[in-house]
Amino acid sequence: MFRIIKKSLRIGVVTGRYQKAEQPELPVTPEAQDKARPFKRSLAIREVDTGSCNACEMEMSALLNPVYDADRFGIHIAASPRHADALVVTGPVTVNLERALKDVHKQTPDPKIVIALGDCAINCGIFKGSYAVTGPVERHIPVDVRIPGCPPRPAEILAVLSELQGKNKTA
Amino acid sequence: MSEAMFCDDLLTAAFPGILKHDPICAKSSHFTVPKDRLPAISHYIHTQPSLRGRLTLLWACDDRPVRDSYGLYYLFTLEASHHWVVLSTELAGHDRLFPSITPHIHAAQWYEREIRDMFGLIPQGHPDLRRLVRHEHWPKGTHPLQKDFSWNHVLERQQGEYRFHHIDGEGVFEVPVGPIHAGIIEAGHFRFSVAGEPIMQLELRHFWKHRGVEKLFEQLTLTDAVLLAERVSGDTTVGHSLAYCHAVETLLDLQVPRRAQYLRSLFLELERLANHLGDIGAMCNDTAYALAHAHCSRMKERIMQLNDRLVGSRFLRGAMQVGGVSWDIDRSQLKLLVEELDGIQRDFSEVGAIIFANASLTDRLESTGVLTERIAWDHAVTGVVGRASGMDQDVRRDRPFAAYDELPVNVALYRYGDVRARLRVRNDEIHEAIRLIREIHARIPDGPIASEPHSLPKPGAWTLAAVEGWRGEIVYMVMAGKDGRIHRCKVRDPSFVNWPAIQWAVLGNIIPDFPLINKSFNLSYAGNDL
Repeated sequence: MFRIIKKSLRIGVVTGRYQKAEQPELPVTPEAQDKARPFKRSLAIREVDTGSCNACEMEMSALLNPVYDADRFGIHIAASPRHADALVVTGPVTVNLERALKDVHKQTPDPKIVIALGDCAINCGIFKGSYAVTGPVERHIPVDVRIPGCPPRPAEILAVLSELQGKNKTA
Repeated sequence: MSEAMFCDDLLTAAFPGILKHDPICAKSSHFTVPKDRLPAISHYIHTQPSLRGRLTLLWACDDRPVRDSYGLYYLFTLEASHHWVVLSTELAGHDRLFPSITPHIHAAQWYEREIRDMFGLIPQGHPDLRRLVRHEHWPKGTHPLQKDFSWNHVLERQQGEYRFHHIDGEGVFEVPVGPIHAGIIEAGHFRFSVAGEPIMQLELRHFWKHRGVEKLFEQLTLTDAVLLAERVSGDTTVGHSLAYCHAVETLLDLQVPRRAQYLRSLFLELERLANHLGDIGAMCNDTAYALAHAHCSRMKERIMQLNDRLVGSRFLRGAMQVGGVSWDIDRSQLKLLVEELDGIQRDFSEVGAIIFANASLTDRLESTGVLTERIAWDHAVTGVVGRASGMDQDVRRDRPFAAYDELPVNVALYRYGDVRARLRVRNDEIHEAIRLIREIHARIPDGPIASEPHSLPKPGAWTLAAVEGWRGEIVYMVMAGKDGRIHRCKVRDPSFVNWPAIQWAVLGNIIPDFPLINKSFNLSYAGNDL
């Protein structure tokens, strides 16, 4: 017990110890911000993988670690699309997952926002044109926000999400 | 050399009809065998006590543009000498049938189903001929790796249903999970049959994320395809790009400078560190031990930020190139790196002491998800999962690549095969990785970091390369085409061999323990589905 407390005291607070992101490459449009207005300071996200290389997933998970701690901005991960305000879609949409993506989109209650995370989701990246890929995401469902990068850094994701929530300054 | 002679003599004595070729790379032998004798010869290599060959890779190749045939290749790694034996055979003309070796060698099951889907060749005698990669909505007769199938073909949709294995009986019910999961996880489908709490059967249904990686390789040149190799499985960026580069360098007969070899080992160990730290945290998290998770993900983040400072990518992307590495790390950076890692090691030792002293955690981990040595051997399981089940193998030691010929590795080995053993292997490997990086710092020579390719390989030349990534043995087969392009590239992530084994590890466990067992394997869906 004392060991655990001692350890925690020694480490102290690590939240915020990262290099702040520069201005996002693709700014969040006013329409997307309007769409996000009903969610105010709380955004429940469902992450949908449609064939990414899993680097984007790792960066999404990193958002929840003590360093970025996205929860402090009211951003949390929902376990089901039915609990979600926003879908974060990664990957170039493979033929095998096309239907799953459409289903998830249908299951998410309105109003909802779709965020395409990573180059693959935005334009299929290096997998463009492959027989097994039917993307990009916007071919199948309407996309409101795009976060480019291969993969985007957690700080960049956080900056865009903050902008979406109407907090123009990054955390 | 004597080992090689011994194995070759043994095989040619037992099977007089087989034809020996020049070895395709160091420490290997290559034989052509008649198609109908394939099961007998592979069975002999697999079971003969002095050979004990583990099926490492099985791939096919469409040679029809050049000669009227398909090639089939079987790679075995001998247990004692770690020597590679390749058996190859040809299906000439309109022959589309080959004898299945699955009845003798269980590890071949997914490979043969994959060949059927991708090439349309039929493994005769295979006990399970359902589709694997092509889901049921793919039209009949589409075999993407045939040369006359265009890489940007647009697939039509047809109706179809996958037939799961059902267990019938009173009180038996099925629990389907996925492909979209309740966390930040990749896409895959699991179907449990349970009666009460314990799992009676788990059936995997994967390949949702199939992106056509192997076909895409064939559209690229040998030097450009590193970018694609980095994106086969994002968390193994270095492992995959390194294995690919090794194969291409053997083809081009390219000498990689020593400094580059050391830097490659450094990048590989950094990747191992980050992922193992994350895994230990995630395993603790699945037992609801949030404190350990927070500490481990904090340390993982430190390594990721360190990577970013070193080469400008948190996943070390762009660090590897054919002929060497593209980023040098100078002495002062290396010194800072080692100092930071010393700090992380102290930090991790304290967290490790807290984790292993926790009795309720131990209670969850011990005897959960046991993978016995026998089942591990039958599936030819590799990497962390194998070493936790008593499979004493590590490519860094057995077939040294990069700078590991000068950096002896202490291999972590446990026999219980439960979740705790897999945690312990990772724990030991974290300390070992930091020790290796210290060694690299002490020994790294000065010099150039890359050499330029000066020639093109002969079309049809092929080779193999294996690398011990953080998950396990990554194997690449690269066959050169015309004008420095790729004719065929077979990628094998350790996940492809370890996934089927998880179906056995969960038996008798309860469903709430499945996430924990799954996490202790931590396999890649992207690397498996390709």
